[in-house]
Amino acid sequence: MIEVLWHGRGGQGAFTAARLLGAAASMRDGAYALAFPSFGPERRGAPMRAFTKIDDSAIGDRSAIKRADFVVYLDDTLLDASDDAWARELKPSGRVLVNSVRRFADPRIVALDANGISAEILGRPIPNTVFLGALSVLCDAVRVEDVVEAIHQYMPAKLHEKNERIVEAAREQLLAERSNALTSAPCESVGADVDACPSTDTAENAENVSRETLQAENVGGTTETVGQDAAASAAAPAIDADVSRETSDVVRSCAHIPVLRSHLAEPPSLDPADYARTTCYPAGHLVAKNAGWRNERPVVSAAACTGCLQCYLYCPDGAVFKTSDDATAVEIDYDFCKGCGICVKACKFNAIGMIPESEALAAAAQHAAVAQPAACASESEVSAR
Amino acid sequence: MENVTNVASATTAETRSAASAAAAAAATATAAGTSPAAKHAAPKRITAKTITDDEFFFGHKACAGCGGSLAVRAALKVLGPNAICALPAGCMSAVGFNFPQLCFANNAIITPFAATASVLSGIEAGLRAQGIKPDDCTVVGFAGDGGTADIGIQALSGAIDRNDDILYICYDNEAYMNTGIQKSSLTPFGAKTTTTPAGKNAHGCLTQKKNMFEIVAAHGIPYAATATIGYLPDFMSKVQKAASIKGTKYIHVMAPCPTGWGCSVDETVELAKDVVDCGLWYLAEYEGPEVSGKPGGAFTLNRNPREFASVEAYLRRQGRFRALTDEEIASVVAGRDAKWETLRSACC
Repeated sequence: MIEVLWHGRGGQGAFTAARLLGAAASMRDGAYALAFPSFGPERRGAPMRAFTKIDDSAIGDRSAIKRADFVVYLDDTLLDASDDAWARELKPSGRVLVNSVRRFADPRIVALDANGISAEILGRPIPNTVFLGALSVLCDAVRVEDVVEAIHQYMPAKLHEKNERIVEAAREQLLAERSNALTSAPCESVGADVDACPSTDTAENAENVSRETLQAENVGGTTETVGQDAAASAAAPAIDADVSRETSDVVRSCAHIPVLRSHLAEPPSLDPADYARTTCYPAGHLVAKNAGWRNERPVVSAAACTGCLQCYLYCPDGAVFKTSDDATAVEIDYDFCKGCGICVKACKFNAIGMIPESEALAAAAQHAAVAQPAACASESEVSAR
Repeated sequence: MENVTNVASATTAETRSAASAAAAAAATATAAGTSPAAKHAAPKRITAKTITDDEFFFGHKACAGCGGSLAVRAALKVLGPNAICALPAGCMSAVGFNFPQLCFANNAIITPFAATASVLSGIEAGLRAQGIKPDDCTVVGFAGDGGTADIGIQALSGAIDRNDDILYICYDNEAYMNTGIQKSSLTPFGAKTTTTPAGKNAHGCLTQKKNMFEIVAAHGIPYAATATIGYLPDFMSKVQKAASIKGTKYIHVMAPCPTGWGCSVDETVELAKDVVDCGLWYLAEYEGPEVSGKPGGAFTLNRNPREFASVEAYLRRQGRFRALTDEEIASVVAGRDAKWETLRSACC
């Protein structure tokens, strides 16, 4: 059985892609496919998963895929680099496909600028069908003509032509990169990655890796994007140091507010005798940040801020808060900001701008390296806009 | 083996465990730091500058740009730590209680879908019976438009009839958004939902939005108001006023939903302003006979614009109205004008 695990955000079309892939794979005589999503009560923007199973006999196992032949990330911020968790989702010869402009040292990770490809053709970055094209190159069970047929059968007519072009563009890019890879050093583009690496330690790792020409056992998990997950702390202290400067140091001077307490509490005993008691939590008990939901973040320019507090008033998430210090009237709690941009519209003085999350993380890493406060970076970026 | 295909049963189980956890939390976490009369001592107008820094609805999993979550956040900032919340099935309970995560800093509980107002009555009576109701305790419910105008209307009507001392807030995003955008009786004419799809013969919802505010006011309720998250200070002062009145209070707050309305996530507050500015929603208050001192009660129009903004512009910027023809939009405008004629004659 060929198993494909899709990681996306609600609204990115991961389930649509999983279904289209299943439809395409089942076009062959005697082929079977199954596609289904998995999501909790979280909403648009929240991480979710979808699954496609492809086989030559009927598929009875309808449970989630634990290890896949192909793991697709529709958003590179979902590829958690803090440990090799991503690798544990792969079968021994499995591959990761990620929507990213970065290049990754690990040969198991194939990056495609799916946002770029789809934005050029559709006018909007909807990355899902790019990976149908990619899988038609990488996976023998998926033929490109079947992908096109699936698009015709399952998508509205007005989307057929554009999505066919997306599939073709993805195939071309992947095939071109393959032939390049054969003629040049495999790690030439690790430099792009180093920019996103939060510490010189990691950057050195990446360089070592490139010198040692990619010995697979050395490279796992060293050179990908900065993980946004709280789980980063335990596994990779170097990464955590950078992220935490912006996130965990948030001090909010109020008496009542839900707080992250998951790290304080012992995991509950699952003994039925204790369960009712050990799974009792106080009001305002939070276990997860929402930082991973956004692709863009708001940044406040101290120079332009007049302290009118409209951004604070209208934030649906309470992620904008008043500061006691006089530099700016407000700060943003990046642990819980979902990047909706309502604060930008609420500001009548153009003191808030949105910047890409990847840019912000890269800037934070750079400034950490020269030991400067990140606020400066954010500000200059706002005024640059 | 983790089985994820049966989404419906998984969700039910999750809701059930979340509900029991919430109930447990409500029972164990007695409100801390009770200082009676601290909040309502000087009821001055609430603004961004004067409102508390506390956040009582925080860390929730609502969509980015969610209007309903802003309504809940703002109301609880006004009501303070001793407010006790009850939420039926709907987005705000689904995104607020993801066991073990509890995004309310207040005591909060999930109710059966139809029972928001009954549970509010019970909480309030229980607090009094036990002699543990703080002076500044508002028992407040947050239900969606479906949970209010369709499923919960009999319980709400009963609570108003008994005049129980509760505050019922309906956050109106004009469809059942939690279950994936189905029409409710507060879905406006022309809106596309999964149960009122736009096709060749119909361009969306064929019925008009039920007038919940007037239905509630017709009970002779002590206080009812309409509001919008687009004019938050107005909403917050209405919540504050409601908290100061004894008896049943009802506030109907317009809360756009980017997912269901087909707009971008940063447009919800603007749309919530637009809907008032173009006259398709109005800001009003009703004070019952005892509160107003007038037989039949008093009706106040808080905003009576001389000129309306464009209805067409408001409708056209939302995906759910995309199929409407110019004639249909003209009929919406005509409906608005007729409504305002009655509104103005009723209060001016």
